[in-house]
Amino acid sequence: MSESTGADLSFTFNGDCYEGAPGQSIAAALMASGVRELRTTRFHKEPRLIFCGIGVCFDCVVVVNGVANQRACLVEINQGDEIVSSK
Amino acid sequence: MKNPDAIVIGAGILGACSALSLTNAGFKVLIIDRGTVASGTTGAGEGNILVSDKDPGPELTLALRSRDLWFELQEDVGDSFELEAKGGVVVARSDDSQLLALARSQSAHGVVTEKLDSKRLHELEPYLHPELSSGVFYPQDAQCQPMLAAARIIQSVIARGGQLVTRSKVLGFKTENDAMSSVLTSTGEYSAPIVINAAGTWAGEIASLAGSHLPVAPRRGFILVTEPAPQYIFHKVYDSEYVVNVASSDADLQTSTVVEGTRSGTILIGASRERVGFDSTMNYEIVRKLAAQATSLFPILRDVQLLRVYRGFRPYAPDHLPLIGEDYRVKGLWHSAGHEGAGIGLAPGSAALITDTILGRPSFMDPAAFSPKRFAEVLQ
Amino acid sequence: MIAVIGAGPAGLAAAMTVAQNNEQVVVIDSAPRPGGQYWRHLRKVEGYKSGRSDKYFRALEESKKIIYIRGAQIWSAVQSENAITLNYLAAGIESSITVAKVILATGAHDRALPFTGWERPGVMTPGAAQALLKGHNVIAGQKILITGTGPFLLPVAVGLAAAGAQVAGIIEAHSPLRWLRSPVALLLNPQKSIELIYYIRKIYQYKLKVSFNRAVIAYDGRAASIATVDTELRIKETVSKIDCDVIAAGWGFTPDVTLGGILGCQQVVDRDGTVIFAVDRDQRSSATNIWIAGEATGIGGADLALVEGRIAALSALGLAIPARLRLARYRLQKFATALQVSYPVGNGWQGWIALESKICRCEEVSLGEICASVSELSANDARTSKLFTRAGMGMCQGRICSRNVSEIIAKQTQCEVTEQERIGYSNRPISAPISLGALANGIK
Ligand SMILES: Cc1cc2nc3c(=O)[nH]c(=O)nc-3n(C[C@H](O)[C@H](O)[C@H](O)COP(=O)(O)OP(=O)(O)OC[C@H]3O[C@@H](n4cnc5c(N)ncnc54)[C@H](O)[C@@H]3O)c2cc1C
Ligand SMILES: Cc1cc2nc3c(=O)[nH]c(=O)nc-3n(C[C@H](O)[C@H](O)[C@H](O)COP(=O)(O)OP(=O)(O)OC[C@H]3O[C@@H](n4cnc5c(N)ncnc54)[C@H](O)[C@@H]3O)c2cc1C
Ligand code: FES
Repeated sequence: MSESTGADLSFTFNGDCYEGAPGQSIAAALMASGVRELRTTRFHKEPRLIFCGIGVCFDCVVVVNGVANQRACLVEINQGDEIVSSK
Repeated sequence: MKNPDAIVIGAGILGACSALSLTNAGFKVLIIDRGTVASGTTGAGEGNILVSDKDPGPELTLALRSRDLWFELQEDVGDSFELEAKGGVVVARSDDSQLLALARSQSAHGVVTEKLDSKRLHELEPYLHPELSSGVFYPQDAQCQPMLAAARIIQSVIARGGQLVTRSKVLGFKTENDAMSSVLTSTGEYSAPIVINAAGTWAGEIASLAGSHLPVAPRRGFILVTEPAPQYIFHKVYDSEYVVNVASSDADLQTSTVVEGTRSGTILIGASRERVGFDSTMNYEIVRKLAAQATSLFPILRDVQLLRVYRGFRPYAPDHLPLIGEDYRVKGLWHSAGHEGAGIGLAPGSAALITDTILGRPSFMDPAAFSPKRFAEVLQ
Repeated sequence: MIAVIGAGPAGLAAAMTVAQNNEQVVVIDSAPRPGGQYWRHLRKVEGYKSGRSDKYFRALEESKKIIYIRGAQIWSAVQSENAITLNYLAAGIESSITVAKVILATGAHDRALPFTGWERPGVMTPGAAQALLKGHNVIAGQKILITGTGPFLLPVAVGLAAAGAQVAGIIEAHSPLRWLRSPVALLLNPQKSIELIYYIRKIYQYKLKVSFNRAVIAYDGRAASIATVDTELRIKETVSKIDCDVIAAGWGFTPDVTLGGILGCQQVVDRDGTVIFAVDRDQRSSATNIWIAGEATGIGGADLALVEGRIAALSALGLAIPARLRLARYRLQKFATALQVSYPVGNGWQGWIALESKICRCEEVSLGEICASVSELSANDARTSKLFTRAGMGMCQGRICSRNVSEIIAKQTQCEVTEQERIGYSNRPISAPISLGALANGIK
């Protein structure tokens, strides 16, 4: 879906490998690869993607290199990042 | 409601418990609040039901009885307010002699205590700082969700024939020959021979409206709330300096942390104590101090994020004991206020004391220590 | 030194004005790139006058008078006698800066209304779809339906279509005829009509389907249910289903008043219920040495934000404010009022939600639970309901749901939401999460 801006960073999400471009947010890079679920909710285990897209709603939180509750729509990807869904 | 037998001012935890206790004794009760349920300090504190932080004396007797009454109350109300006998772990920062001496004297008065060596301490709380090596476990320490408790208790009062009027501010009283006759409020006049002043930090204002005095003043507290985190904390954990601060009369800021996890995954870190009147401005230095103390107990919390800070004003009396009993001037005006940082824990016992005294029947303890009359001479 | 908080149109205009007058200015913004909510371009995106941000971006890079701190979110601020200290987090590390004067240009985010199924992946705000496209070069989905109300839906739809997205339609809740209620505002702002004509041409060019007086009232994960609605947004009848995998729904904007609130700047409730800052004719707030510009003083769009930013900067510098700037602001404010008149957000959306739908997305609190807190537990405002249900206590701290919760309770209790309650739910003591470790490290 994305017009490639030269995807040259690789990272993992829930163990799978993905690629993205420098400057892209985690959410953008994953959505460009067709990911439709960034996390499941704490109580009802419902899937969530992004909502506000600008860091306000915290719907998109993931664990980035062990640090919990990072907003995937804000945090830019770095080479080798290990990203896991919040549960 | 026409002609209630008693009017309770305040829909906080003390008002709620008093109303239910009176209802169960056969009274028709009307509860009045200028806001709604838990809109005062009950909605701005934590729900610790502690026996561990009290020295032997009347307050400990009240706390022990109250703690058991909380569990009876849950049965009576039949609905959940997250009551849980979680247990408290008090950690000695360095010298543990004071803590152990306190635990010994408490256990002589009915408090269950268990001295913890380093191994046992870390079994109970595996994420505690590894260098902490001594503490005491108090299995009776419990907790509830106080707002939900107040609401559920008031629901029971209503189901048993009582009534709640919200957004009704008490503006004055009518008395006849120094005896209570009616309460004047922003939503009208309500008559009853018995009025319970459970207005918490504002109970002094209510007493003044009735031409009396009650020395209740605010003691501010901040509480930190974190993001939801995995379970790192299994009991209520605090350091032994907390006990010293609770009893202190010092006006200056004191911080001593109680750290605990909640069902929703957030961690509560409380609380500071300072006397600054009703000043509600944020103080980020206090926030930092609380964070530092919590992370020194639990280093793993360093990576957990703070989401919110809230503050409340504990109602306190000069001698740090609650004011429970009839007014020294106005007959029929009863106070149950000034419970400071322990109002949740002490509420059911206080309510039982009031009801027993109104009915003139013996209670589980002598209420004299809490009588508002103890300040009558000073104030007149 | 002067600090500008926010690098959207208002903040950029303020910073450039300060720099042009040879004073030092520091711009602090939480985003990794400048532009704020609307001017976030990674590359050129089709839209009306989309090149006008260039000179501001260049100034940020090149001006020796501007220090630009990006990716830095201010979490708290303290005003002392004659200085203001701003504490910010960048990459998890806390720093602080103390300045003499502050210009707040913290902007706004889309207002979201719940509907049945709005928790599903793919439902987002137009701002999210736009940020993905402009900021990250990603089209949000295969088939995007744009809905809500207001002219700000148009640039989103056109930008997406121009980038090759399949736009399933634009579902606008109101009729364009409502503009006829504001003839003066239209006459005062001929450039806005030109902008509108630009977008109408683009809508034809990309063959976008626009329908009026309709709203998306439910989404089952595959198709959106469309209903005709009255001006209060009450459902008249369900008319169709549209297949889509993304719904971008926006209902006006909510200014973020948190930081100004922490600094004690006075707030008022705008006529549409939005909480905004009260400022004087020089954009000065009620707090000493703090000026506020842009959406945070009332929703009016980028042009108004630019003018306000310049006025705020001139006033902060103690310079005269040219009459033409004041006139421009006057004209654009008239237009902003016309926007509110043309695109009101009534309370009929409360009829779009199933009882089990979540109102608070963070803590997953349903409409049914909020209603029960009123009927069973005697809650009569958002604060009390929050204490009982946890609605608004989650990670976003009620930024998305608290206004909706408050309106739901008002309807349940048949009361109006008070001004005090609106200001209460719009404020919070911490403007961004910060780790306990960072807090502890910052002890003086
Ligand atoms: C930070 C903090 C942490 C705390 N933690 C704990 C804890 O862990 N455990 C514990 O036991 N206690 C704790 N407390 C203390 C506890 O919250 C209080 O002691 C308790 O809530 C007091 O309850 P109350 O019913 O007396 O007062 P409130 O809850 O304040 O109720 C008084 C009510 O009276 C109403 N009122 C006042 N004036 C009028 C008027 N003129 N007309 C009508 N209505 C009026 C108010 O609206 C209010 O609802 C804490 C307190 C704070 C501030
Ligand atoms: C989808 C969408 C479409 C729009 N379309 C149009 C349009 O076509 N025409 C139009 O005129 N307007 C449009 N707008 C409205 C837009 O909000 C404004 O025009 C413009 O962005 C307002 O500028 P501003 O400077 O007031 O705030 P913003 O652009 O919102 O900038 C505020 C900045 O402050 C930063 N900030 C906030 N708080 C902090 C903090 N605590 N610490 C650090 N930084 C902080 C934010 O990250 C942000 O970068 C649109 C908005 C959206 C969301
Ligand atoms: S989508 Fe709202 S914070 Fe990321």
